[in-house]
Amino acid sequence: MEEEKFDCIIVGGGVAGTAAAYVLAQNGAKILLVEKGEWTGSKNVSGGVIWGPTVWEIFPELINSIENPPYERFINRRRLSFMSEASSFSIDFHSEEFSSAPYNGVSVLRSRFDKWLGEQVEEAIAASDYAEDSLVATSILVDELVNENGRVCGIRCGEDIFYSDSVILAEGVNNLLTRSCGLMDDSYEAELVGTGIKEVWQFDRDLLESRFQLEGRSGVSNEFVGCTEGVEGGGFVYTNLDTISIGLVLGLKTLRDSGKAVYDILDSFKAHPSIKPILQGGKMVEYSAHVVPVGDIRLVPKQLYKDGVLVVGDAAGLLMNTGKSIEGMNLAMESGRQAALAVLRAKKQGDFSSKTLGSYQESLAQTFVLKDMNNFQGAVKFLHQPAMFKSYPNLVNQIMKNLFVADGEPKRKTRQIIQDCISESDLSYWDVLKTSLWGGAAL
Amino acid sequence: MSASIKDRLSTLKTTISKKPHIVVETQICDTKCPHQCTTYVCPAKCYEIRDGKMLFQYEDCIECGTCLYACDQGAVSWNYPESGHGVTFPMG
Repeated sequence: MEEEKFDCIIVGGGVAGTAAAYVLAQNGAKILLVEKGEWTGSKNVSGGVIWGPTVWEIFPELINSIENPPYERFINRRRLSFMSEASSFSIDFHSEEFSSAPYNGVSVLRSRFDKWLGEQVEEAIAASDYAEDSLVATSILVDELVNENGRVCGIRCGEDIFYSDSVILAEGVNNLLTRSCGLMDDSYEAELVGTGIKEVWQFDRDLLESRFQLEGRSGVSNEFVGCTEGVEGGGFVYTNLDTISIGLVLGLKTLRDSGKAVYDILDSFKAHPSIKPILQGGKMVEYSAHVVPVGDIRLVPKQLYKDGVLVVGDAAGLLMNTGKSIEGMNLAMESGRQAALAVLRAKKQGDFSSKTLGSYQESLAQTFVLKDMNNFQGAVKFLHQPAMFKSYPNLVNQIMKNLFVADGEPKRKTRQIIQDCISESDLSYWDVLKTSLWGGAAL
Repeated sequence: MSASIKDRLSTLKTTISKKPHIVVETQICDTKCPHQCTTYVCPAKCYEIRDGKMLFQYEDCIECGTCLYACDQGAVSWNYPESGHGVTFPMG
């Protein structure tokens, strides 16, 4: 291998890595994007919905792809469901205001979507001054970072060493390289992550659209609480073009403590009387799983950069959990963009030391990424309470049942029903009062 | 309605490397681990107890990282499969 030097090597072809690579290629940098899978996305898994404008801003071509988009459906109906063993209570919001592009959210299947992102990077490379020198390299695992005088200056893949002025680590949550260079310590804490487990079910498209009341390319996101046998976490159902993604994210520490098998909890979710009919007439076509950060700021490195290296996306523990929604991919993409911009500034100044790369963290702190994560740490703690996963969903359903039941008995007023339900539950009035006040402030 | 884990994994394409990418010191699982949690947290059922002993096979691994974070006994040495190997998700 002849020695050629890149401005930046990006490790990982997920949403963060491709966003960084695309911004760099478009702005005259010589880059190498390395992906261990067969194509960008081939080893990637998410729920998943990409929320917010970031993806549309970074990849404006997405707007032009509306006839045949790489995403599955745009989300204009959001539903949050609280489940008990026999019942479910949902908050359902549908809006035409979420029905025009750039969409508020789009459902994606990552192996397809990230492949499209990789193609965008290749097109940006082809249009750049480094059409012959920059590249997207797949089926290549990065074994280690190469250091010189304490600064990162490249990567080693088997026998080959590739040199660069900077490396962006977009390797995902199983971030071996990020930990090896000291950006994160070596303790893999179960408490700070969850395990996501998912099945994709295929349907006749007409059946899917009538079942979920969809029109054209519209779609639904539905999150569930109380469906995890008391284990911290929740469930999701997202509509894709002719499939649905159904799964759970389970807090890994409480899962470990519970002694329950992850697939058994998924099976019991799928067997719930409110879920079972959703799957009728469908066929399971893919099973997958992946660890995810749970939004705890303790997973995020205090410093996201060192001499010659920056860390983005899941590798940096970036995920926001507000209780109302969980967002990860947009944070990943924004961090990829900000890291790329910092590398471009460093290139201009001819200085890739931590002094200039530190502007990445400064600018990230000004975006929604770190602002939201910091602002919603209370929500993360609030949502960690064990009662959130069983006692409260049960209580909500008990109250709703009593509001709606016609049992031949004289009807009680709402306030009486609530009081009775609380005293029959495993919660005290004090618990409920405290939780409502805390929830109001934290969420 | 619920398929076995084997059936579920058959929906994925895996190129199995000759070299195990994850190495488990099963002696730690057998002698000092209080929970042996990998036997129930691993979504691909790569860890099983047979005749009272922990058995690990890497061939079904889908590289999710659960055991990397779940094992708090230092028994799991985790890595990705070598270049060109491991799982491919057709949809993801």
